[in-house]
Amino acid sequence: MSTSRRLWIALALLLGSTFSVLLWMGSEIHRTEPPMPERVVSADGQTLFTREDIEQGRIVWQSIGGQQLGTVWGHGALVAPDWSADWLHREATGLLDLWAQNDHGGAFDKLDAGTQESLKARLREELRKNTYTPATGTLEVSADRALAISNVAAHYVSLFGNDLATQQLRETYAMRNNSVDTLEHRDQLAKFFFWTAWATVTNRPDASVSYTNNWPYEPLVGNTPAPSTFLWSVFSVLFMTAGIGLLAWHYAVWQRQEPHLTPPATDPLRGITITPSMRATAKYFWVVLALLLTQILLGAITAHYQVEGQKFYGFDISQIFPYSLTRTWHTELAVLWIATAWLATGLYIGPAVSGHEPKFQRLGVNVLWVCLLIIVIGAFTGQWFAVMQKLGLKYNFWFGHQGWEYVDLGRFWQMFLFVGLLLWLVLVGRALWPALRRKDDLASIIGLLFLSTVAIALFYGAGLMWGERTSLSMVEYWRWWVVHLWVEGFFEVFAVAVISFLFVKLGLVRARTATVNVLFATFVFMAGGVLGTFHHLYFTGTTTAVIALGASFSALEVVPLALIGMEAYETWAHSRATKWMERYRWPIMFFLAVSFWNLVGAGLFGFLINTPLALYYMQGLNLTPLHGHTALFGVYGMLGLGLMLFCLRGLKPDVQWNEGHLRGAFWALNIGLSLMALLTLLPLGILQLNAVLEHGYWYGRSAEFMSQPLIHLLIWMRVPGDTIFAAGALLICWFVARMWIAPRRVVAEYSSEPALSHG
Amino acid sequence: MIEFYPQIKFVHVAAVILSGSLFALRGLLMLARSRFSNHPALRYLSYAIDTTLLTAALMLVTIVHQYPFVQGWLTVKVLLLVAYIVLGTLALKRGRTRAAQVTCYFAALLVFAFIASVALAHNPWGVFAARFS
Repeated sequence: MSTSRRLWIALALLLGSTFSVLLWMGSEIHRTEPPMPERVVSADGQTLFTREDIEQGRIVWQSIGGQQLGTVWGHGALVAPDWSADWLHREATGLLDLWAQNDHGGAFDKLDAGTQESLKARLREELRKNTYTPATGTLEVSADRALAISNVAAHYVSLFGNDLATQQLRETYAMRNNSVDTLEHRDQLAKFFFWTAWATVTNRPDASVSYTNNWPYEPLVGNTPAPSTFLWSVFSVLFMTAGIGLLAWHYAVWQRQEPHLTPPATDPLRGITITPSMRATAKYFWVVLALLLTQILLGAITAHYQVEGQKFYGFDISQIFPYSLTRTWHTELAVLWIATAWLATGLYIGPAVSGHEPKFQRLGVNVLWVCLLIIVIGAFTGQWFAVMQKLGLKYNFWFGHQGWEYVDLGRFWQMFLFVGLLLWLVLVGRALWPALRRKDDLASIIGLLFLSTVAIALFYGAGLMWGERTSLSMVEYWRWWVVHLWVEGFFEVFAVAVISFLFVKLGLVRARTATVNVLFATFVFMAGGVLGTFHHLYFTGTTTAVIALGASFSALEVVPLALIGMEAYETWAHSRATKWMERYRWPIMFFLAVSFWNLVGAGLFGFLINTPLALYYMQGLNLTPLHGHTALFGVYGMLGLGLMLFCLRGLKPDVQWNEGHLRGAFWALNIGLSLMALLTLLPLGILQLNAVLEHGYWYGRSAEFMSQPLIHLLIWMRVPGDTIFAAGALLICWFVARMWIAPRRVVAEYSSEPALSHG
Repeated sequence: MIEFYPQIKFVHVAAVILSGSLFALRGLLMLARSRFSNHPALRYLSYAIDTTLLTAALMLVTIVHQYPFVQGWLTVKVLLLVAYIVLGTLALKRGRTRAAQVTCYFAALLVFAFIASVALAHNPWGVFAARFS
């Protein structure tokens, strides 16, 4: 049996078993999710509120941007508080003050240490005890707690309106006045926040950890890391180290078996015929750049909200484009422009691989492009109406804002996008079909490329698995199918396959070698990647098994990243293999940047927040966007730009590239991203972490902490990096524009000179 | 942020002095027909200083709550900054003839000096404030 056949079988077994576990755990998460009470009643039997109030409150929360304004259970935006942690702390201190007043006639702070400790013990007993009765669906709270709940709810009703008493808080939290339209909706929103906080502190039946595995850290109520959190953190490091050792051994054995390959004398891709459908992909790249620039602008506005609250250099921008909206668009556009670049690459590569232009292919490419534009404009318009509270709740789920970070599009637009992706699959598939049927050396790698396009098209479907009222835990489960498996998983397979394929077509790597490498890389990646999905779900109302699986397998995701230097060196060596490879210098430089940020952004900054114990304290602090920016732009953004340049080289073979512009763009983007990470996100995240460890999670996200001058100063330190980054983006846009506007033509052909070096 | 106002203003003023001095130096090199006027090291130093200058300026704007296109003197500064950048680019790089480069260099220096006077006077007329305002 050949190596590639063995690898195919291993990959099939791996995917079969890991997806079985993933699905089975999904059913377990559903079975053990925090219950939604039918009624919350006080000890005297009075109904305080109902399930309908809580669920309606959740819909209100989603309509204002949901996870794009503050967080719930640590997932979402960073400026406003984590509402569950904030509620929990307010309710806890409210109860302590109430008891101190009633029983001791003074404020809690003024009591002696012994009395304080006894009240804290009473608080833990009061809040952690599970008083939910499944048979009746009733959640009972004491009269004191009912009063504390009422007081905290009043605070939120004030905060989400335009009460002057909470104006300062709204500015610090970057909230627009009247974030929620009516008093009734504000009240329901508060009830939803109560429920999210209740799940964080209430022990599971017959257990001593809460539904969210004791997240957030709040020593006052006994929310400290569960033993499993520590245990699996340690073991995950162990697994990672073992994995790195094994992989290093594999490389050591494998590398020696590889004989040298002499590259062809001329660029084999120079002769490819550019078909009408391939040419039609050019406008996809124009859209990619337009979306990138818009995303950067929205990012600047979103970041600026942290220092001027509701304004943008004096202009009251929160009344037109509130924070939750600019952040929604910023995060959505990240996925959309990167996905567009990859879709375009797929459409370009298909006919290039097979040499076959199917009938009406160009029409299909154009229709898909128009569909993408309609989706972006339609979905964003709906989100504006939702967040401005002009849409109403009835149509919000379908046409407004779903409130789930990265999958915020209204359901109609999500379905439209899914149809678009299926259309893309058909277009790429029919173009690739003749090549797939050829049983040559390339069959395996093309097969993998095709399978990744199938996965990219179908796995977005996971985003359609939840409804408007599906439990929070289950929405998070499916949401991470999209964000982790779709973006981080199958995009990665597609990327590895497409880059290897390009090197094979360029004659730099043998097809057989590339196939084995890609299959092996996919195996290693997916070994950690599929069940690694759970590392996003440690604290979303799941059980210890999720922590164990998530920690162990996501640590394995770091394994190939730790050794990525070997792949990067190989890529670099390819770029130096022959003189004509200079034509591909800049696409390859972007691929090298992908490797660098894979190591730093995904590997180091990812692992920084990866273990359960680390994430327990770090989730939702600035250490999360540190990983987010450096991994999402650093890896997938750079890859999108690299692939774009590669396709443009083919689309405009006779245009002379302005090396200066590309060099400037490349370094500005990389230096800008580094400065953003090192001058703001990392130090700010560390300061927050320190605050969390000292006072509890709520404090690291509180207005008190976030409005300190030092914090503002660190946020301002984003300006140099962001300016350089934006200059880089403008340069690359200008570079691409000049390929169509008064381009300079190549005067001399690349000759068949011998290789410069073999690196 | 008001707590850091003196330090930020110091950084801003220092960056202005450095930026202007560097431009003057590069202009002198250009006059002396030295190829070092556009040496990468000088260009990158200039980018670094100007980015710092811009950052400090944006911080000051939000601290003192005075904004371009609201306050006249800041509007003039921003508009003349654009003129300064255009003249500077013409002087050091894009000027077609030497005469154009030299003229643009001295014009840029004059504009720079006037911007500084506008900043010092907090008045759109700058050095001519006493006469016109």
